[in-house]
Amino acid sequence: MEPILKEIHTNVMDGDVNAVKANVQAAIDAGIPVSEILNDGMIAAMAEVGHLFEEGECFVPEMLIAARAMQTGLALLKPHLKNAEVVSAGKVVVGTVKGDLHDIGKNLVAMMLEGAGFEIIDLGTDVPAEKFVEAVRNQGAQIVAMSALLTTTMPSIKNTIDALNAAGLRGQVKVMIGGAPVTQNYADQIGADGFAPDASRAVATAKELMSA
Amino acid sequence: MKPRDRVLMALNHETPDRCPMQVSFTPEFAARLEKDMKLGGEEKIHNPHGGGNTYELERSLGQDLLLTSVGWANSYYQDAKEYVDEWGIGWRSAEYDTPFGTGRYTEMNIHPLAEDDAIESYQAPDPNRPELYNEAEWMLRTFKDEYWIVGVTVTTIFEAAWALRGYERMLTDFALKPELAERLLDIPYQYHLTAAKKLTQMGVDMIWIGDDVGAQNAMIISPKMWRRFLKPRMAHFIAELKSINPQVKVAYHSDGVVNPIIPDLIEIGLDVLNPIQPASMDPAKLKQEFGDKLCFWGSIDEQYTLPFGSATDVKNEVHTRLKTLGKNGGLIIGPTHHVQLDTPMENFWAMVNTVQQTPYSSL
Repeated sequence: MEPILKEIHTNVMDGDVNAVKANVQAAIDAGIPVSEILNDGMIAAMAEVGHLFEEGECFVPEMLIAARAMQTGLALLKPHLKNAEVVSAGKVVVGTVKGDLHDIGKNLVAMMLEGAGFEIIDLGTDVPAEKFVEAVRNQGAQIVAMSALLTTTMPSIKNTIDALNAAGLRGQVKVMIGGAPVTQNYADQIGADGFAPDASRAVATAKELMSA
Repeated sequence: MKPRDRVLMALNHETPDRCPMQVSFTPEFAARLEKDMKLGGEEKIHNPHGGGNTYELERSLGQDLLLTSVGWANSYYQDAKEYVDEWGIGWRSAEYDTPFGTGRYTEMNIHPLAEDDAIESYQAPDPNRPELYNEAEWMLRTFKDEYWIVGVTVTTIFEAAWALRGYERMLTDFALKPELAERLLDIPYQYHLTAAKKLTQMGVDMIWIGDDVGAQNAMIISPKMWRRFLKPRMAHFIAELKSINPQVKVAYHSDGVVNPIIPDLIEIGLDVLNPIQPASMDPAKLKQEFGDKLCFWGSIDEQYTLPFGSATDVKNEVHTRLKTLGKNGGLIIGPTHHVQLDTPMENFWAMVNTVQQTPYSSL
């Protein structure tokens, strides 16, 4: 691997926005393929952050700053991505379901998925079922990722799945869910395709769903 | 037995006639309960952090602790429309539907210290306004003979600081702007310390502090970061209260997983840990490891048992807790959060009645 890619990898893990900016620009200028900067420099770094998170060696602040550093690098790469042979890992619409205003968990999932090469459509919080339906219909999302923090708002997850069914779209999207009270059992019960207990494992779930 | 004696015995690791109980509810569940109990529902709601408790409800249910709150946590549920509280923090509501009706939650949407330099001119509210303590004064005068009185100053340091700053910004500050983080934390810390000292001087039996640093499966921040930013402030907070009244107890609330910092909490003089979410931490194991040095408060599951389990599940869970976490005292039992609107009334009564009808001598 090019030494500068190793540096970018470290910069992302450290959450050093300025160093990421400088080194990604330098790598682009040096003619290193954009796909290598993205995959070997940044995506690999986020995967390691996710791994450390699962191991209990890294926590939310470290994940947040790494994700922001990654986003800074991604913004620099974006103009070049169209011409490069970079394939998106998939398009995911994410949101916290209707009635629920909590966003940190949903944001972390969105950041980690973006960090793994997914395209994200973030609908925010308190998202009505019809908004998810619209995003699948009009923007071609392949995965719907929903979050709920509370038992009182969990039923909105099921309502959204029902709305996707009613719109005739359920067959063309995978549904993954998460949030404090949400379990694999609940996912099975309401007919979701996947469940993840945290933002890092949401990446693995999304990858599995894309290859299923 | 008087409720306050029941609590005192339990906190002294002795077994009273039955386990002391404290229950809080969302305003919507409280309204349902008032109807169920045919209560007037006239009294002012007092419980902070989105709670809908009234003293009438608490006393009618046979609760052993009565709460009075001063601080930022009283900013929840001030209005159904958008509003800005006295800290300059903006709020909005979202509605949710349950089989038992529609409720709403309030959440923050404006953070006055979102910009780094806003802190330079920020003026926090004044914790010395006498009217803030009118309710506590009345409570102590009216109920202290009978009940265990808790002065509530939850959202003590971290939570109110992130409400001022924005959650992700505050978490990022811990990693990238530690000096700013320290200054942000000091704003609510000073306010709530002043309030807690005043409440202690007035004679409350226990101060309840709180900051959620645990998520469902892990801590939100590392134990190392917690030890840098929060532990020293909490240590000083507790020491100040105990210097006013060595008998005052201090309880601390954090949702989720906090196992890694429990030895630290014991070290800085904590008496009671709340709410012991059983899906996050194993209550029986906590009792084994820390039960001789720490008391517990809460522990009845709000994520599955109360809303979705059967009345028998609830009864069994209460029995299990009394035999484990509550063995030889050391427990104030209750739900891990406000009872939510999705809870069937029979489950609620299964919890309350099982607690009240299970003498320690029968276990």
